[in-house]
Amino acid sequence: MNPKVASILENADLRHLKPEELAAMSQYVNSMPARLEAYRSLREHELEIMQWVAEQLQAEMPVEPVENLERSIKNALLMLRCCAMAMLLNDESFVHTRLVTWLAPRVTAYNSQNIDSTLYGLMNHRLNQVLGSDRMAVLTPLLTYAQTALPTAQPTAAVEGEVAIGW
Amino acid sequence: MISVADLLLKNRIPGNCFATGTYVRGDIEMGLLENQQGDRLLALPETLIQAIYAGLDKETGQAARLVLMNCGRWWGKNFYTRFCEQLTLYYDQAPADMPMVEFMQAIEQCWIAHGWGKIEMDQTYQNRGFLVINIRNSIFARHAPKTNQPACYLEAGILAAFFSQLTGRELDCLQTTCESMGADCNRFIIGLPKRLQPAEVMIGKMEHEAILQRLCQ
Repeated sequence: MNPKVASILENADLRHLKPEELAAMSQYVNSMPARLEAYRSLREHELEIMQWVAEQLQAEMPVEPVENLERSIKNALLMLRCCAMAMLLNDESFVHTRLVTWLAPRVTAYNSQNIDSTLYGLMNHRLNQVLGSDRMAVLTPLLTYAQTALPTAQPTAAVEGEVAIGW
Repeated sequence: MISVADLLLKNRIPGNCFATGTYVRGDIEMGLLENQQGDRLLALPETLIQAIYAGLDKETGQAARLVLMNCGRWWGKNFYTRFCEQLTLYYDQAPADMPMVEFMQAIEQCWIAHGWGKIEMDQTYQNRGFLVINIRNSIFARHAPKTNQPACYLEAGILAAFFSQLTGRELDCLQTTCESMGADCNRFIIGLPKRLQPAEVMIGKMEHEAILQRLCQ
């Protein structure tokens, strides 16, 4: 549940909600149909959108090893699903705790910022095309938050992901 | 051509296996804690940790550190097995096949999820045969008796056993700095017992980096 709504319900023990609490509840409930609609649409078109993105990405970065492209696509899928859930919950902090804190060190370790930057551009473009501006209005803030919170393209020391378990 | 459908694992994309907020689940009525795979977890109250230190000191005196180290080794061995089972189940991939960077990140997240502090692996000396582990905000250091020696023997035992299992070699672990002595973090050096042995007499007398330099000579 959205933490703000959960907090309101927990704290409203045997009293009426204050006007500002009621307004927050109304905002959450009234925006729910739009968020559910965007979620349904994204769920339905996710594979088609991401397949298009994967093909475009491969065409734009033909020399990049497929393994690196696939890793970034998987991360982008994770981002999309996490943002979709955060959109349903109407809770930006969900993106931070469930995605950014975990993905940021991984992006840095694999030095995937350049691929990710191109990938995000393609993904955002395709999402807008397929879902339309109304549905994207509720998803875009979360996607923007996730994409800007993750490390951006900067020269960093690459740590290749070869199997290195051993002594 | 990349097939996105093939990148999905049973229609899901595995993220953080040890995500805070979802990893630990509690049943207040039954008084049980378990992880998301249904394995039981044990909560260690601070009072119990303090009592373990005090009780061992009273009962065994100087041998307390050896007892804690051996308990840690036992714990670490079982912890490694459970950790690998959880990773395999969640990522559908054996830990030995995971890229090192992802395996290490899983350990870091696992440490946080269990409330053992923040663990970092420093691989600077790995090609010289030593792995350095830094742990911050350790509950075991916070309640350890204050002496002029590092006190996290339990964690040293856990780390020795964990990395012995991981590498298939019998490894030892020495702690060089300790939060209980006012250090910024607990530093551990893991390596072959024979190569670590010379450092035992340096603990408490030399700085962490100086010990490592001496070991690498």
